[in-house]
Amino acid sequence: MSAARESNASTSRSAIVGGERADEVPAEAWVAALAGLSCVGPVRLARLLDRYEPRAAFAALARGSVSNELLEPKPKEGPLRRTLRDEVGAIDIGELWGRYQAAGLGVGLVGSPGYPEALAGDLSPPPVLFWRGDPNALLGPRVGIIGTRRCSRYGLDLAHEFGRDLAEAGVRVVSGLALGIDGSAHRGVLSVDGAPPIGVVGSGLDHVYPKAHRELWNEVAERGLLCSEVPLGVPPAPWRFPARNRIIAALSDVLLVVESGVRGGSLLTVRDAYDRGRTVMAVPGPVRAATSVGTNRLLADGVAPALDVADVLVALGLSSGATRTDVEARPAPGARGDLVLAELGWQPATVDILIARTGLGVGEITAAIRKLTQQGWVARNGGWIERVAHPS
Amino acid sequence: MLASVFSSTLFGVEGHGVSVEVHCSNGLPAFRVVGLPDANCREARDRVRAAMLSSGFEWFDRKVTVNLAPSGLPKIGPGLDVAIAMGMLVASGQVPAEAIRNIGFIGELGLDGSVRAVPGTLSLVRSLDSLAAVVPLVSVHEARVAAEASNGQAVFGVDTLRSLVDALAHDVAWPAIPDAPDPPLRLAPPDLSEVRGHHLPRWAAEVAAAGGHHLLLMGPPGAGKTMLARRIAPLLPPLDSEECLEVSCVYSAAGLGLPAGGLIDQPPFRAPHHGASTAALVGGGTGRVRPGEISLAHSGVLFLDELGEFAPASLDSLRQPLEDGEVTIARSAVAATLPARFLLVAAMNPCPCGFAGDPGGCRCSVAARDRYRRRLSGPLLDRFDLRVDVVRPDPVALLGGDPEESTASIAARVAAVRFRAQMRGERTNAALSGPLLEELTQLTEPARAMLRGSIESGNLSGRGLKRVRSVALTLKDLQAVRTDDPAGASSPTDPVLLDEDTISSALELRANFADPTSNRRAS
Repeated sequence: MSAARESNASTSRSAIVGGERADEVPAEAWVAALAGLSCVGPVRLARLLDRYEPRAAFAALARGSVSNELLEPKPKEGPLRRTLRDEVGAIDIGELWGRYQAAGLGVGLVGSPGYPEALAGDLSPPPVLFWRGDPNALLGPRVGIIGTRRCSRYGLDLAHEFGRDLAEAGVRVVSGLALGIDGSAHRGVLSVDGAPPIGVVGSGLDHVYPKAHRELWNEVAERGLLCSEVPLGVPPAPWRFPARNRIIAALSDVLLVVESGVRGGSLLTVRDAYDRGRTVMAVPGPVRAATSVGTNRLLADGVAPALDVADVLVALGLSSGATRTDVEARPAPGARGDLVLAELGWQPATVDILIARTGLGVGEITAAIRKLTQQGWVARNGGWIERVAHPS
Repeated sequence: MLASVFSSTLFGVEGHGVSVEVHCSNGLPAFRVVGLPDANCREARDRVRAAMLSSGFEWFDRKVTVNLAPSGLPKIGPGLDVAIAMGMLVASGQVPAEAIRNIGFIGELGLDGSVRAVPGTLSLVRSLDSLAAVVPLVSVHEARVAAEASNGQAVFGVDTLRSLVDALAHDVAWPAIPDAPDPPLRLAPPDLSEVRGHHLPRWAAEVAAAGGHHLLLMGPPGAGKTMLARRIAPLLPPLDSEECLEVSCVYSAAGLGLPAGGLIDQPPFRAPHHGASTAALVGGGTGRVRPGEISLAHSGVLFLDELGEFAPASLDSLRQPLEDGEVTIARSAVAATLPARFLLVAAMNPCPCGFAGDPGGCRCSVAARDRYRRRLSGPLLDRFDLRVDVVRPDPVALLGGDPEESTASIAARVAAVRFRAQMRGERTNAALSGPLLEELTQLTEPARAMLRGSIESGNLSGRGLKRVRSVALTLKDLQAVRTDDPAGASSPTDPVLLDEDTISSALELRANFADPTSNRRAS
């Protein structure tokens, strides 16, 4: 503590800020601490770092001497300045930095050598980025695959296909590891031995969200890159996802929307992509499908359609290469199964609809559906039967 | 100075014969009732005294002890009032002892001497140890039904204590018995032909009724789940004589009354609201044990709409009765066993907003959906042999087209299948024991492979395996009774070969909840 007092000639109050090992930690540690404060998002953090050195910003917050315009707009709940002062006062920077070292996380400040180049020139680059895995995974063409969490089987299957085929073509797939489209795209990437996956998440790297994707997180981090601008120990919050989406948009050379409802986070990402001059593509869906309203509207507004992976590769300026020939591993559906599959098509249908189309009895149709489900040709979603493109 | 009078008390749905003994002796004036009377029964002394005085009898100030034998059995309610009053009158010498020999008395007394009805007349009269029964005038028809069904006692009705004593001791005629009210207009039950489309749920309803398999209907609001459920009870065959009496006893004991001049002969349909307490569902309550909804639905259909909104503890209390066909409500002194063999039909939305399943239509978060489904315990869910989705029908199907198959024509098949189950020694296929089921059904190799696949993918439990077999047997029975040539149909006791299609259909009929493939990938 005496060392801290000598090195910092200001008041004794600021001298003890950060705890005993305050002199031993790098600038990254101070930024990580700042980023973890409540009500400090990327915008406030960038403003603070514009004005101060990281450690000085920390000290200024501890003194409560930060000017008002840096903290604008004022939050509704309570006096922000005092909250921040109390929070800063409670931080032991040595212990905090120890956690990052123990977790083996990569930490990069914007402008520093370790910081990913792909983000450095962005409109609003994350002031600090934390990552697991290899940042070199970013080197190469990148396509963001996004879409709704409440997707249909159609969207799930297509996200999987695009992810798989792009990875095979050597394109990095960037996605948010959310339920639905995001997760399915990365599962597609991981199903082949291709380009590394890139995951961008909206919570601290120790807060897996959604919990069901824990394995997916780990696999993405092992085979590619898992990154976040949110420091350790911070749980997901609704406002962090749009902020996460801007990183996805920034990292994507082409942004592909697979399925989206009328309103949704995907459309915010699309706006972020436009702001950055990126190419946006959308997968067309049935006009009546609630899950494709957003994407179809994008197409109507002039966004390029992505019918298969070749379209995306062309947009990237890559050649489409050899077309993929799948080996069908599922058992043959049989004559009755073929009839049901043909009448089902690629649109969800109810048992009643299938009975009307095939002319089979209710006993026969249920037996056929059960058999096709077991073989992996169809899946049930409530009372609706959907065709499965490829078993997962 | 001693009198003994026959009467009866109700516990659960069963009557128990009671001997009311009245003893008068010298001593300080007192009136004590002993023999485990409940509060209501003990208050008889005030009602009896007032009724005797206002009927013009003498109340004598001696030491009176009333014993209700057997003294270990709890006596609940006011049904012993008349018997106690008669005991008092005999013990005090105002009515000769011979006048009440071999007559049982049932009824509650008003302060003005009027005789009022009590619940459970049917069971009470059946359990009387006497050759004749005196009951409140309004209960005469019900009591006659009971007398016919048991030992053919003579039944008399009275409206006041005075008229009772006059008839017994003074050769005055018994009060005239009012005509039995007209049987209520029996409205035609709702018919399945009105349910358009809905092939799968209609078929599931038929299988449920034929095999006694519990049915869970799942679907968005307005899809027609309730409409369908209300049409299942009329599919069941009319009650046989034993069931008629069982069901009528329950209704009588619950104080719900019987249809004019007869027993309940149609399968009951009960649809309790989801706010129902555990006691309301399974029976019980403070004091007397009142039959719950599951007993009122005995031999009929218990319909639980909005299953997810019922209290989880109440639902889990259904598990044992579902298994045993009866429910035992134990009290410190005595336990009542109530019949509760019912077909459980339940309906629920797939998620809080109700639109899960319509692709892209649900607004609930995945967590909210999981929470909603977790409200049903796995063991309860496992007892539904049939779990089908009800989707909103195509509007075009609602508007036109031919009416679907009628209840009458399906009910004929249901009755035929139930008859086959009875030939096998059970009421329904669902009640067949595991070993018997193994004996009666054989699996083809592809059918076996289909089952193995379901077990390996985690969609079928050990219990589920047995249930699938019994549903498959019902499907085969339905096929057998469909064939026009009765000689061609196999004998019910021959082993049935279950092929792949039948097993597949049986699996698909319980597929909801059991097939998480799509969810697993979406999450």
